Amino acid sequence: MPLDFRRFNGPEDSVSYKIYTKDYLKTYDEQLKDLYDENGKRKDGRELNEARSMCMFCMFARTDMVSQAKGSAYVELRKTKVVCSVFDPREIPHQNEFRQLGQLYCEVKFAPFSCPRKRRPYVPDVEEKALSVALRQALEPAVCRHFFPNYQIDVLIYILEHDGSCLAAAINAAGLALANAAVPMFDIITSCSVAVIGNKMFIDPTEIEEHIAKNSTEVNHGIITMSVLSQLKQISDFTQIGSMDVECVTKVMEVLLKECEIIVPNIQRVLVVDVVKNFELKKHLEAETKKREEILKKKMDEWRSLLNGQ
Amino acid sequence: MAGLLLSSTEKVFIVHGVQEDFRSDGRSNIDYRPMELETDVVSHASGSARLRLANTDILVGIKTEIDTPKPDKPDMGKIEFLVDGSANATPEFEGRGGENLASSISNTMQRAYHSSQAFDLKQLCIVEGKQCWKLYVDILILECGGNWFDAVSLATKAALFNTRIPLVKALLMDGGNVDLQLSDDPYDFKFLDVGSAPLLVTLCKIGEKCVVDPSAEEESCSVISLIVGITGNSKSYCADKGASNITDVDIKCSTISMNGPGSLAPKTLKNAIHQGM
Amino acid sequence: MPAADLLSSQGLRLDGRRPNELRRIRCKLGVFTQPDGSAYLEQGNTKVLAAVYGPHQASKSKMSTEAVVVNCQYSMATFSTGERKNRPRGDRKSQEMSMHLRQALTAAIKTEMYPRSQIDIYIEVLQADGGTYCASVNAASLALIDSGIPLRAYVTACSASLGRQSATHEPLVDVSHIEEAADGVCLTVASLPSTGSIALLEMSNRLHMDHFNIVLTRAMQGCRDIEVILDGAVRQHLAEGWTKQDVITI
Repeated sequence: MPLDFRRFNGPEDSVSYKIYTKDYLKTYDEQLKDLYDENGKRKDGRELNEARSMCMFCMFARTDMVSQAKGSAYVELRKTKVVCSVFDPREIPHQNEFRQLGQLYCEVKFAPFSCPRKRRPYVPDVEEKALSVALRQALEPAVCRHFFPNYQIDVLIYILEHDGSCLAAAINAAGLALANAAVPMFDIITSCSVAVIGNKMFIDPTEIEEHIAKNSTEVNHGIITMSVLSQLKQISDFTQIGSMDVECVTKVMEVLLKECEIIVPNIQRVLVVDVVKNFELKKHLEAETKKREEILKKKMDEWRSLLNGQ
Repeated sequence: MAGLLLSSTEKVFIVHGVQEDFRSDGRSNIDYRPMELETDVVSHASGSARLRLANTDILVGIKTEIDTPKPDKPDMGKIEFLVDGSANATPEFEGRGGENLASSISNTMQRAYHSSQAFDLKQLCIVEGKQCWKLYVDILILECGGNWFDAVSLATKAALFNTRIPLVKALLMDGGNVDLQLSDDPYDFKFLDVGSAPLLVTLCKIGEKCVVDPSAEEESCSVISLIVGITGNSKSYCADKGASNITDVDIKCSTISMNGPGSLAPKTLKNAIHQGM
Repeated sequence: MPAADLLSSQGLRLDGRRPNELRRIRCKLGVFTQPDGSAYLEQGNTKVLAAVYGPHQASKSKMSTEAVVVNCQYSMATFSTGERKNRPRGDRKSQEMSMHLRQALTAAIKTEMYPRSQIDIYIEVLQADGGTYCASVNAASLALIDSGIPLRAYVTACSASLGRQSATHEPLVDVSHIEEAADGVCLTVASLPSTGSIALLEMSNRLHMDHFNIVLTRAMQGCRDIEVILDGAVRQHLAEGWTKQDVITI
C-alpha cells in the first residue's frame, strides 16, 4: 500500500487496537446471535425483511446539495450517508476516435473516517475502483447516452459514512443527482441489497451484517445487490458475492425486486419536491426580472425626458 | 472489441443464427469451442497453465510467497489476482490500454474466490496468526477471441491444481518470531485442494436467447452478458452480472432471462467439465 | 574485469557449456492468427513471444513522411523471473529495453518503403533466464519475417562475457542469468551478420581494452551462428507450406 505522507505513519506492522477488544474476539456464533434477538428484531429495531427506507424519516434524501455541481443529491439510510454530484457533459479528454454514445465517468470515494473497521487511504483502493465500475454498469442503461455523443458526464460519489449497502445507496443517490442535473434518462433507477446468512435474509443490511454474511461458513451466504429500472421492468445491475444455491438466488431476486419498487415513490417524491422548488425559483426569478426591467424602463424614460427637455 | 469490424448485415446473420440455435461456426447455443489445456509450462512459477479456447489464449502463472496473515483472519492465507492484457493480443492493450478490462476480470475472479466454499484459504495457513502462504495468480492474455472470463477461470483452476506448495520441514519459534525451514527436496510438496474452485460461465444475450462461450464476433452483437461463477460440486454457485455495454433499451437483461441463466448453469457446467477438465 | 569463477578448471561454464557454445534455440513462426506476424523463441530457459502488427496508418503525432515509425513494447510477465515482478511493464528497465529494441529493429527494416505508416512490435517475456534482450531481438526478427515486412538482413543479437581459466582469458558466448548475476562483463551486440554491421552495442561492467576485441569477435560469431539457426527455422516453416492455422484464416 502506498504510504500516506500527509500524516504521521505508525510502524509498518502496527495493527488497530480494536482487534484486542472484547467485541472483536467474539466467535462467529456469538456475532451471529448478536444480530437479532429472539423476537426476530434486528439490533436497530427493524424486522429482518424491513429496509431502512421503509421507516419514516429514516431514508432521507434531497437534491441540490453541492452548489458547484450541475446536479447533486444526498441519501441517508440511517448511518449510511452518501453525497453524489453530477457535472455537465464535457468532451472526453485524450480521445481520438468518435464515440456514438456518451460516456459516464463514475468515481466512488470513501471518506477517510467513513468505515468502522479501518481508516480509508486517500488514494483509491481496489474496493473503490470495483464500486466505481459497478456503479457505471448500473447507470449506463438508465441514461439516454445517445443524446450526447463523444461527451462524458462525471458522476462523483462521496461516502461520508459507511454502514452497509453503500453500493445501493450510491446508485439511488446517483439516480437522483442525474435527474437533478436534468440529464435525460429512460427511467428512475432504484437499488437495494440483501445479505444472506444461512436461511435468513437481511434486507438492506448494516455493515456488521454484511461482514458476517461475507465471512460466514454456512451453505448459503453472501450479499446480492440489484438495481432496477422500475417502469421498464429491467434489471440494470446484479452483483453477488459469496456462495448460494440457485433457489436462494431466485428467491432473493424477487424480494429485491419488491424492495426496489417500494423505493420508487420515495424517489419520485424527492424529485417532485425538486421540480416544484425549481419551478417556484424560476417564477420568483422571472418576477424579479420583470420588476427590475420596469424600474430600468422608468429610469430610461426619466433620462430621455430630461435629455429631450434640454 | 479489438479491431473487429462487423457490418450490420453480418450482425443480423449472427443474431438470426442464434435464434435458430445454430451459430456461425456450427455450434448450438450451449456448445463450447474446442479447448486445449496444458499445465506446468513455466518453470519459474510454482504452478502454471496455458489454455487455448479456439482463438483465446491465456497463460496463468502462480507464484507463492510467505506472508503474514491479516489480523482479522489469522488462520487464512491470501490469494491475489492480477490480469495483464498483453499487447500481443491486440495493439489496444499497449501501455495502459487494457487496464479497465484487466481490472474487471481480476475483480470478478477475486469475488468468485472470496467465499470459503469456493476456495478454502485455510489450506494456505502455516502458523496461525504468524505465517501463511500468499498466492499470486498472474493471468496473461496472449490472444483474444472472446469469452475471457470462462477461459481465465478455467486456466486459473488448472494452474491452481498444478501448484506445488513446498512442505515446511521445521519450525523454530524464537520469541515472537517464527523461523521456517522449507524442504530442499523439489519433490517434497503438497498440492492444493481445488475441487470446488469456481468456474465462470459467460452467458451472452443475443436477441432473445443466451449462448455460452461467445466468440469475439458474437460478443460484439450482444449488449449484455451474464457471468455466473459455479463452484465445482454444482451444489452452490455464485453469480455476478457483468457488463451492460450499450443502452439499447429493448435488449437488456430482464428478470425472466436472469432466471434463465440460473437454471442453465448446472448444464453448462457439465459441458465445461466434459470438454475442459 | 573477468570474474574468476565463471569457468571451471576443466574449462567448462557454470551450466556445463563450453565457452563458445550457444544455449539451445528452439523457435516457431506464426504461433498466433490475430497478429500479422508472430513468433515464439526459446533460448535455453528464456522464453519470448513476439507479435508484429502493421504496417498500418500511423497516429498523427508520430507520423513521419519519410519513413515508417517502428513502435516497440517490451513487457515481462510477472511470473517470468525468480522473484515476482509487480508490474509487467512501464518500469525503467522495460522502457530502456523497448528503446533499444526499436533502435536495433529500425536498422534492419527497410523503413523507406512505408512512409506515413507504423509497425507495432510487441515482445512478451514469459520466462527470463538471462539474455532477454538477445532473445527478444531474435524473436522479433522472426516475427517480422513472418509478417512479410521487407528487411535488409536478419537482425540477431548475442551477448558475450569474459571468463578466466588459470592465466588465460576466455570469452564466453550467450550469457545466462547466473553468469549475468556473477558480476562479470556483459557485452550485448545486435547486428546484421550478413552485412557485418552492428546495430546496437551495449556493455556493462569494466573490461580491459586488450580483451575488448576478442569478446566482441565472440559475440559477433554468436550472432552469425544464431542467424544460421533462424534461417533454418524460417526455411523449415516455409517448406511446411500451409499450416492448419493458415487455412483457417483464409
